[in-house]
Amino acid sequence: MKVISPTGERVDLMTINVGPSHPATHGTLRIFAALDGETIAACATEIGYLHRGFEKMVEQGTYSQVLPYTDRLNYCSAMMNNIGFCKAVEKMFAITVPERCVTIRIILSELSRIIDHMVCVCTNLVDLGALTNFWYFFNVREQVYVIWEKLCGARLTNTVTRIGGMYRDVYPGFVDDVRGVLLKIETAVGEVRGLIEHNKIFIDRTKDICVVSASDAISWGWTGPCLRASGVDRDLRKDEPYYGYETYNFDTVIGTSGDTFDRIMVRIYEMIESVSIVRQGLDRLKPGPINAPDASVSLPSRERVYHDMEALINSFKLVYEGVRPPPGTCYDATEAANGELGYLIVSDGGTNPYRVKVRPPCFTQFAAYGDMLTGTMLADVAASLGSINIIAGELDR
Amino acid sequence: MMVKKSNVPDGPMLPGLSLDQIVTVLAEKFTVVRDASDQWGLTLVAPAEKLRDIMRFLRDEPTLQFAMLLDVVGVDYLAYPGHRGERYAVLYPMKSLTFRHRVTIKVTVDEDACVVPSIHELFKSADWAERETWDQYGIIFAGHPNLKRLLNHHEFVGHPLRKDYPCQKRQKLSTNDQMLDQLEARLRARGYTILDHGESHAGTPITDASSVPSLGTVKAGDKL
Repeated sequence: MKVISPTGERVDLMTINVGPSHPATHGTLRIFAALDGETIAACATEIGYLHRGFEKMVEQGTYSQVLPYTDRLNYCSAMMNNIGFCKAVEKMFAITVPERCVTIRIILSELSRIIDHMVCVCTNLVDLGALTNFWYFFNVREQVYVIWEKLCGARLTNTVTRIGGMYRDVYPGFVDDVRGVLLKIETAVGEVRGLIEHNKIFIDRTKDICVVSASDAISWGWTGPCLRASGVDRDLRKDEPYYGYETYNFDTVIGTSGDTFDRIMVRIYEMIESVSIVRQGLDRLKPGPINAPDASVSLPSRERVYHDMEALINSFKLVYEGVRPPPGTCYDATEAANGELGYLIVSDGGTNPYRVKVRPPCFTQFAAYGDMLTGTMLADVAASLGSINIIAGELDR
Repeated sequence: MMVKKSNVPDGPMLPGLSLDQIVTVLAEKFTVVRDASDQWGLTLVAPAEKLRDIMRFLRDEPTLQFAMLLDVVGVDYLAYPGHRGERYAVLYPMKSLTFRHRVTIKVTVDEDACVVPSIHELFKSADWAERETWDQYGIIFAGHPNLKRLLNHHEFVGHPLRKDYPCQKRQKLSTNDQMLDQLEARLRARGYTILDHGESHAGTPITDASSVPSLGTVKAGDKL
């Protein structure tokens, strides 16, 4: 492409596609760039390759049937999507879930946050050629998946919560398993941090690359670790605490420069904070019910169903018809691994959601990516994409 | 140290205004009505022609400071039981990063004109969010510089999240979007003058479906 540059020179730009199917695009994304030498003069990005029509599909089923679909949004931390959706529907019902359920949800959320950050950080490092970190993190992540498997039978797509509670209580030995894996997580995070934090190659590739200022990050609608890396001290767990996060002792981690380096390091340090939250949660885990004692959402026990006509009808209605939140429009958000995961639900009082809009945190982050890349080098595409943690499942829905 | 930590016991946000106070502050300047359907938070129905002014006011007013537009959400009320009024609505959930308060602005959209003003100049996040709402609902955001489909294929016919779009309907979509127009627009915005479109790299997608034998008989928009 022959152009006249802003400085008045006649230049021949080369147009090139990165993706949609490229090992460094972490899914199917397309970056269409015009190169001046190795510098990206401008680029346009394209998404939608993984669009399944999530929002259309969930209108066809009941509220409970939405849950398995939410697993497929951010599949690196499926449980947090389950929890976010259930929390939004519970808000519509004005249900308070029992304390044991809340504590289990916090433990599962924070463990999910850790493995989500692990995938984000170590795949980003693989893109930079640092393969060792990948094995350090994926070894530990595998052990978390073993816990998931024991907990609910599924590894990746867990569907672990129910509206008003949990699918089932944790298994005997869960606390010991989690305490064991936390030690290994700490070791792995320490090892990876030691390998990268003062590593000259890593710093050269990530420092001052794809810098996003605090005001830009806010205008782009960034949330979560990427916003905090730009120096904005905002975390829903602190700002609008839910599930009693205000009673847990942890720090928010914020960066200073908003570059790729900070986005990765914020996640590394957040994992350490999450380990601490999980430990506090395990200490608080007291026996008790896990489902809200509310017949409009929770299934009665099997024992009651077999001996009590009302319970049988209750069970039948909940399974065959589903729950009916009051009519209206409700927005609710949780701090997922990637940022603010919001669900805007429109209910018509029926058993199927009238409209569910997911606010995926990485959507706003990828919207900014085209601007972030402008003026950087082609090699920075691979080096920086991982740091905004694009999960095509929630990006394209 | 590259990363610093903060630990403020109550969180760093200021309490902010109550929902009623937010309504009062806005009602002094604009005609907004509280939407009774949102009993869990604050949704305000605003007139579309004042949307830009309201959004700017919400962002810049020192007592409000709704600095972040979280999303742009379309809703089609065609099948909503007992619904009266316009068919579509666009919702703009917003939050403040200074105060602990949130608001959702709701604009009703007429079915025939199907147009609301774009607010991409006020919030960068509106750019893609408005494109998505156009793609899924066919609502036009007047003034948007690049109102193209985002999630659906560029050959897709119709707007799938409309309630009268059948869930099982299938369309065969074959040809890639070359996106040269978007790239050139971005180059021009940076001060480049384009002399000729030139040859693309080998990685450029297929632009002519008939050159691929297996896709040769399929035309854009063919119904199956």
